[in-house]
Amino acid sequence: MLTLISPTETPLHRMPACLKLGAVAAGTVLALRVTSLPGTAGLLAGLGLTLLALGPGFARQAGQHLLALWPVVAIILIWHGWSGHWTAGAVVAGRMVFAIGLATLMTMTTRLADLLALAERGLAPLARLGMNPRAIALAMALVIRFTPVLLDKAAALRQAWQARSPKRPRTAIALPLALAALDDADHVAEALRARGGL
Amino acid sequence: MDQGITFQDVTYRRQDRLILRGISLSLTARRIGVIGRNGSGKTTLLRLMAGLVAPSSGQIRLDGLDPAADRRAMLDRVGILFQNPDHQILFPTVEEELAFGLRQQGASATEAAAEVATLLQAEGRSHWAKALVASLSHGQKQWLCLMAVLLMRPATLLLDEPFAALDLPTQARLARRLAVLPQRIVTISHDPDAVAAADHLVWIEGGEVARQGRPADVLPAFRAEMARLGDADADTDLSH
Amino acid sequence: MERNLTHIALFAALIAVLSLVPKIDLISGVPITAQSLGIMLCGTVLGAKRGAAAVLLFLALVALGLPLLSGGRGGIGVFMGPSVGYLVGFPVAAFVAGLVVERWRAPIGVAAFAGAVLGGILLLSAFGIVGLRAYSVLIAEGVADAKTFTWVQAVAAATPFLIGDTIKAVLAGAITQSLARLRPDSVLSRA
Repeated sequence: MLTLISPTETPLHRMPACLKLGAVAAGTVLALRVTSLPGTAGLLAGLGLTLLALGPGFARQAGQHLLALWPVVAIILIWHGWSGHWTAGAVVAGRMVFAIGLATLMTMTTRLADLLALAERGLAPLARLGMNPRAIALAMALVIRFTPVLLDKAAALRQAWQARSPKRPRTAIALPLALAALDDADHVAEALRARGGL
Repeated sequence: MDQGITFQDVTYRRQDRLILRGISLSLTARRIGVIGRNGSGKTTLLRLMAGLVAPSSGQIRLDGLDPAADRRAMLDRVGILFQNPDHQILFPTVEEELAFGLRQQGASATEAAAEVATLLQAEGRSHWAKALVASLSHGQKQWLCLMAVLLMRPATLLLDEPFAALDLPTQARLARRLAVLPQRIVTISHDPDAVAAADHLVWIEGGEVARQGRPADVLPAFRAEMARLGDADADTDLSH
Repeated sequence: MERNLTHIALFAALIAVLSLVPKIDLISGVPITAQSLGIMLCGTVLGAKRGAAAVLLFLALVALGLPLLSGGRGGIGVFMGPSVGYLVGFPVAAFVAGLVVERWRAPIGVAAFAGAVLGGILLLSAFGIVGLRAYSVLIAEGVADAKTFTWVQAVAAATPFLIGDTIKAVLAGAITQSLARLRPDSVLSRA
């Protein structure tokens, strides 16, 4: 299962995960203190320059992720602009994009294993509440392993449908998919038991 | 001292259906085959041997131990390979999958990783370490499952239709690999060719042992019966 | 024991698949997908605790950077957007849906539909609405002339989804009922 991490290596990839997380938090707090348009523009320019400095391919990838925010940005701008408060709208939208941009930067430069280790340390106190970290790690591996398997199954079901119907399959594939999930769960449980169980 | 696999008057019932009845076996040969039609109960037989299910009545012993009860001991003694690799690969990458069994047996993360690396190198597949399982072909996944089980060094290997769905070259490679393994191997199949080289062959029909012995004694009768069934029309009974 | 784990994991994967299978995006930033159907099914098929666990597992993996949300989104950034209320509400929705199926001894299809409506629509919308309003207040903080969602506006923003959600709740009921017939031992909410 592919993660969102960028394949192009940057200096940020080597930075420890906890520092990056701290930077995201600090950056978000900072963003909420900026209330002027020039300030917001400054934040976004800083972010943009950082992205470009990390490589044009990297910047393009990050841009694609952030592009998903355009509907929300549009609504904020139009809604504010309706009453003539474009500036306020731009500041609000800009701060949001900046904060999420920081988070995106972190997601693109941090390996799953590192985030997992960080999460494990952070959640260690919860282990007292009876949660089994090994079981959780195994559960995560299983999800990563089987999401592509079920996606393939979904594609196969769609093709099976389209082989017999001109219309596009909508909800019809949900039942076979859920059934596949149940059956796979049984098979995997057996395979797990065959290799020693939990 | 190798006590082999014994079944004493074993029955297995599941949700009111009688799947196996009166099975008594004493299997000590090196290469054992189990042959039968689909639905004859042979897969259930394998699961009973592995201890994944317990018999409804009767006794099963593998190496003197009860496989269903002594799960911890079975971990070191029995390895099972299911028909569909997608039903048994648990992890998304090759090295994680290979290391899992070793971790289960008590190895540390570093010890397991080292053994996995050694194996991959010996197999000329060091570049597979971080490969995604999703990107492997069926035959490659089959190889991965076999390696994952062999790493745990079981004395007995149970194989469920290992050659089904493999193309001829892959079948030949797998057969070659299996032939040199030191373990006792039990292979189940519906195809006579898959078990023709066994030392001892058991034919399961309708949940019972129809015949057992050397392949030369069992297979002709088996083929004849399969031909006879094939000449008659299919049974339309919905009970299974 | 192992069965609980594998059911939870496989249904977390099911949410991901139902989210990623192509559907329609609506403009207010909250997409219409089969995602909430996955959430509902986790509750109605696995029960309250296991269903919530499956959803939490799903959200944890999203936070760790896996592109499992509709549109292939992931990473902690998704929790910093306006739909954060819905994300927080997901595990609660599954829990409540599962609770209804576990406790109300009506035929499972009916109970699953009711659970899906109660958890997956009413409760989830409540979380989403509160989230929308709180989020709009947060990002507008300190900015002169900035507008925030009033409660009425937040409710209005959530309303267009109700039709799609009702269809999904009906589906959840039907699918749960079929699964209970096909695999009675696997539907853990009533096993």
